[in-house]
Amino acid sequence: MEKIVYAQLDETVYTEVLPNGLTVTLLPKNGFHKTYGLFTTKYGSIDNTFVPLGKSEKISVPDGIAHFLEHKMFEKEDGDVFQKFGRMGAAANAFTSFTQTSYLFSSTNQVKENLGTLLDFVQEPYFTEETVNKEKGIIAQEIQMYDDEPDWRLFFGLLGNLYPKHPLHIDIAGTVESIMEITPELLYTCYKTFYHPSNMNLFVVGKLDPDDLMTFIRQNQAAKTFEEAEAIERFFPEETVTDIRPFHAISMPVNRPKSIVGIKGAEPAPQGKEAMIHKTKMDILLRLLFGPTSSNYLRLYDQGILDDSFSYDYELERSFNFVAVSSDTKDPERFSETIKAILLSAKDSPELTEKNLMLIKKRMIGQHLQSLNSLEFIANQYSQQTYGEATLFDLVPIIEAITLEDILYMADQFMHEERLSAFHILSKGEKKE
Amino acid sequence: MSIQLTEGVQLHLLPTNKYKTIQITLKFKAPLKKETITQRTMIANLLEISSKRYPTQTAFRSELSELFGASFGTAVSRKGNQHILTVSLNIVNEKYLTMGNGITEKAVQFLEEVLFHPNVEEQHFDQTTFKREKEKLRDDYDGLYDDKQTYASLALQALLFEDSSQKVPSIGTAEDLEKITSSSLYQYYQSMIQDDEVDIYVMGDVEQDEIVAYFKNFSFNARQIAPRSPFYQTTSTSELREKTEEQEVTQAKLNLGYTTSVFYHGEDYYAGQVFNGLFGGFPHSKLFMNVREKESLAYYAASSLDTFRGVMVVQTGIDGKESEKVKAIVAEQLYDMQAGDFTETAFLQTKNMLKNQLIQSEDNPGSVIERIYANQLALGKTVSLQEWIEGIEMVTREQVIEVAKKVKLKGIFFLSGGVK
Repeated sequence: MEKIVYAQLDETVYTEVLPNGLTVTLLPKNGFHKTYGLFTTKYGSIDNTFVPLGKSEKISVPDGIAHFLEHKMFEKEDGDVFQKFGRMGAAANAFTSFTQTSYLFSSTNQVKENLGTLLDFVQEPYFTEETVNKEKGIIAQEIQMYDDEPDWRLFFGLLGNLYPKHPLHIDIAGTVESIMEITPELLYTCYKTFYHPSNMNLFVVGKLDPDDLMTFIRQNQAAKTFEEAEAIERFFPEETVTDIRPFHAISMPVNRPKSIVGIKGAEPAPQGKEAMIHKTKMDILLRLLFGPTSSNYLRLYDQGILDDSFSYDYELERSFNFVAVSSDTKDPERFSETIKAILLSAKDSPELTEKNLMLIKKRMIGQHLQSLNSLEFIANQYSQQTYGEATLFDLVPIIEAITLEDILYMADQFMHEERLSAFHILSKGEKKE
Repeated sequence: MSIQLTEGVQLHLLPTNKYKTIQITLKFKAPLKKETITQRTMIANLLEISSKRYPTQTAFRSELSELFGASFGTAVSRKGNQHILTVSLNIVNEKYLTMGNGITEKAVQFLEEVLFHPNVEEQHFDQTTFKREKEKLRDDYDGLYDDKQTYASLALQALLFEDSSQKVPSIGTAEDLEKITSSSLYQYYQSMIQDDEVDIYVMGDVEQDEIVAYFKNFSFNARQIAPRSPFYQTTSTSELREKTEEQEVTQAKLNLGYTTSVFYHGEDYYAGQVFNGLFGGFPHSKLFMNVREKESLAYYAASSLDTFRGVMVVQTGIDGKESEKVKAIVAEQLYDMQAGDFTETAFLQTKNMLKNQLIQSEDNPGSVIERIYANQLALGKTVSLQEWIEGIEMVTREQVIEVAKKVKLKGIFFLSGGVK
């Protein structure tokens, strides 16, 4: 078990890779009452074409299957896993993103029992025709709920423009049609391929004794057998800039129109710690251009072109990276044209000064330290493993080292018109009170 | 430790070294009146973005950035018969910053500036800012229609209550907004600063004497606080109020509202928590197990209590044509609760979950402050965690059944997806 001390932050992390390939990380925070455990596989909604474990031919599986699998992990022959956690007073949940699926519990006592339940339920699949079919109605309602959410539709509208072939543009839960094709056999195939311990990590944070807990985890894992691990082969469609749809709009029953502008990054994005540095540079650039202390923000707010729903983000994950800037707005056309102009002239922006950079670095460091109050935030960030060895505790020195030249270079490299797209949601019909 | 800064203004210090931050929260409390809700929302919005010294958002947010990205925000909420305006500031503890000496004092000075020196000239709020914020709030009201879960909740609320101050959203209404001018709002601001009951909470690893000294610089005047029940008692009617609306949505929303006997730390409080947990508060609850797991009719079907108004709300997202079936299942679950038809396992599990939830909330500075403040509102004192846990443990099955029997369906709002 390796021990890493972050003296300035007053945090100590314990980590170990077990013989079966599972990466385990423990972060004791003994002032807290709770313990939060997160068990994650690098398997998300975009992983829909791959070579199954032990096979040589690639297959394509129905959209939404990773999320469907997450739902079905909770049902076992002897009942529902929620009940098992509940009897020990623990709360449990799970979530699926584009690139990962995570299972979690939080409890204030019986940590080992709850952790054992987490490991065992995720490592013992049980899928039958009956339980799979029963879930289809529930997930169909989940999909339809998101269909009515304007912000969700806005985000996926942009993804549809930027990634028309890549499975990123498909709702994480799939479609009402695609989930109907899911069978227990397909779930087992996905499970065996992606839930191998070598493709997973376990993170536990909160009230815990690292030696005792690591011994417990080692024993739990040593008692189980897994097939020989293989490197997982995933396939994504080729896309070029000509595939990007520059604009699209839809109408929904909303009073406030919405607009989003995005820029798709060039492949390949950096890996490991470099990716974290790259991401941080873009985060700073976006704050300089659009943050609450920028003159762009003030001008557009005062003109009523954006409001406090305004947001900007840089997403960087396995196989994709893009910038997205969005807001509720009375004038979607004017919003998207203005944002485009700011993005495309970013390298010449008067906002990119040493003084502004200093202020934003100060703010980012402070906000980062505030976010470390939340055990959930720490666990979720740590488990993403987007940055190889680098973790959220490495962020402060990375922020400190970034220079204005780095930001100018980023602005010059990233912002290209042919990679840019906009999507609008317009109001359908009369204004309603 | 609590100190009275002046009559009607209390400072509460909550020392802990668990966090890397210091959380400061100010609560301004006034009796709930429909006319003032919208004014209070406008004030919250104006205080959140400007002051005399920092008149633009750029200047305002730059100062917060200088305080190492201090998180600052305002919000309004309704608790029973009261309207609460909350101002909160969260900063990193100087101990974790290399160049952060003195930021705690500066942060408190910033709060003083924001509260006592708004961007005002000649007895009115700055016209340009006021105009823009009025337009923005009008947009916010329009936007309430866009999120259909929010829309359905608000529509049920309007159906459930008799008083106009309880029917409207806690952020007010477009109709009342139109009556507000920059000078009438300034007048209201002055009475708020003078008359509202104020509670200030500071949580973190701080020198208590220093904090007290900083807050003594706030020019709060003494104020008389008339004793008043914090609770709103709704009337139960024999006639069920039903409303249906059609919109072009994919998923229908069926929301049901009930009157209950469950009030915050009242006689039925602990039993009410257990009842709600069993009925629709947890994944092992009757609503989750029957509407979702057994019949596959919904992704979400849950109940929640408003213990300052004595009501319970059930929210579901369903296929529109199943509404009668879902109504029947929900009614059956309540009937089963009233008949005592719940297992001992589920009963004990609910208690465990409630205890776990409560203890976990101790790990979040914001929720600790909210809990202590709610205690203060309802009881004038803090209920210890231990007392609370014992309260849950003592609940009997019979008490849960009695609470269930007092739950009466009062209103149903159905947003159907009929048009598509």
